[in-house]
Amino acid sequence: MKKQNIIITVLSMFICSTTLSAESGAVDFLRSTGKIYSVIAVIVVVLIGIGYFLYKIDNKLTKLENQINNEQ
Amino acid sequence: MRQNWWKFLGIAILIYTVIVGMSTPLKPGVLRIDSLSVGQGDNNASITHGETHKFRVKGYNTNFLDNDNRAWLKLDSIGSVKAKAVNVINDTEIDLTFDIPNHFPARDTFESLTLVLHNTEDGAAILPDAVFVKSDLTDIENNAEWKINPISNLTDKTGMQFPYRSVLHETIRNTFFHIPLWFSMFILLIVSLVYSVKYLRSGNLKHDIYASAMVNVAVLFGILGIITGSLWAKYTWGTFWTTDVKLNMSTVAMLIYVASLILRSSINDIDRRAKLSASYNIFAFAALIPLVFIIPRLTDSLHPGNGGNPALGGEDMENTLRMVFYPAIMGFTLLGLWMSSTLIRYELIKDKWMTRK
Repeated sequence: MKKQNIIITVLSMFICSTTLSAESGAVDFLRSTGKIYSVIAVIVVVLIGIGYFLYKIDNKLTKLENQINNEQ
Repeated sequence: MRQNWWKFLGIAILIYTVIVGMSTPLKPGVLRIDSLSVGQGDNNASITHGETHKFRVKGYNTNFLDNDNRAWLKLDSIGSVKAKAVNVINDTEIDLTFDIPNHFPARDTFESLTLVLHNTEDGAAILPDAVFVKSDLTDIENNAEWKINPISNLTDKTGMQFPYRSVLHETIRNTFFHIPLWFSMFILLIVSLVYSVKYLRSGNLKHDIYASAMVNVAVLFGILGIITGSLWAKYTWGTFWTTDVKLNMSTVAMLIYVASLILRSSINDIDRRAKLSASYNIFAFAALIPLVFIIPRLTDSLHPGNGGNPALGGEDMENTLRMVFYPAIMGFTLLGLWMSSTLIRYELIKDKWMTRK
């Protein structure tokens, strides 16, 4: 529950910041220097996805480990 | 160690992709042109013929200082007019003065001129539709003024650079991170399809575990592909989501595969679960082909290569991009196979533990 709250907060902050900068018409950070930071954002998204996968498999393994250890 | 070589190969290729993909500079290009005589307002200056006009040009990755700069305004196929005066302000800003000829040999009353910039270090940089000219003298025969100083001696900058595109700018590098995700997703789904067919033929539960693990990783890659594509769209097309047919169809395809994972987790009987998810996987793949490959090609799309010709051929891709793009596909595929192999090994151990009695 707590984890979900954090994810929702970060997501909404991100969306708010991008929409606000779009409304003001100013050149925001991700559009500066030839939009290179949007490429960085894409790479970060890919890394977060791979990290999420690792986290999930880590959790699954811990559960199985506990099961095996408890029965022995 | 010996059987792990492909995992290290995958990581090495991904490191190569990030380093070369991020450190190779873009070709020098023209960011924008403003008319100093008419007044700044639009990106593209709109002027009338028979007058002298001064423009300020902003370059990207250019080195205007200490180089011989030349510039032309090109009227398609008829000819071009050379800049009368070139005044360099700094490396990325330059003032150009043009005498727009009196006679305007155009067929339309509103013609667009292409700016061609050349200097000895950067080579040629081009901005299509740089200047719009209103013309009431549409005399196609009278084009002598456009032939005086033709475009000549254009060179290219040496060394490896990625192409400069007016809207894309640096986001052209997303080619190495967004598209390979989809390619490797597709390769993983093909392998998983093979294992599903194998399961239905043999009834070996191992094959079912192989297939479902690959679908798991493929769905992760697909969702990452949608998110990264959405980010890319925000900074090139202007919104996170458009009504582009390829976006919606690939989302539908992803939903079909997510549904297969949910269906799988909702059945407790192992054999029924395996049979159902194997046959579902075959039908999901049969739906994927028209959704991602056929329907977007039938209509118009913002994605390159849709509505006709394939995106990897011809002028949609440059050789410098290919040098990073093809390895990136290999790297992401090997990473996906590594990720699914860990999932497979986990599922096999779990299966062994659950059925040990």
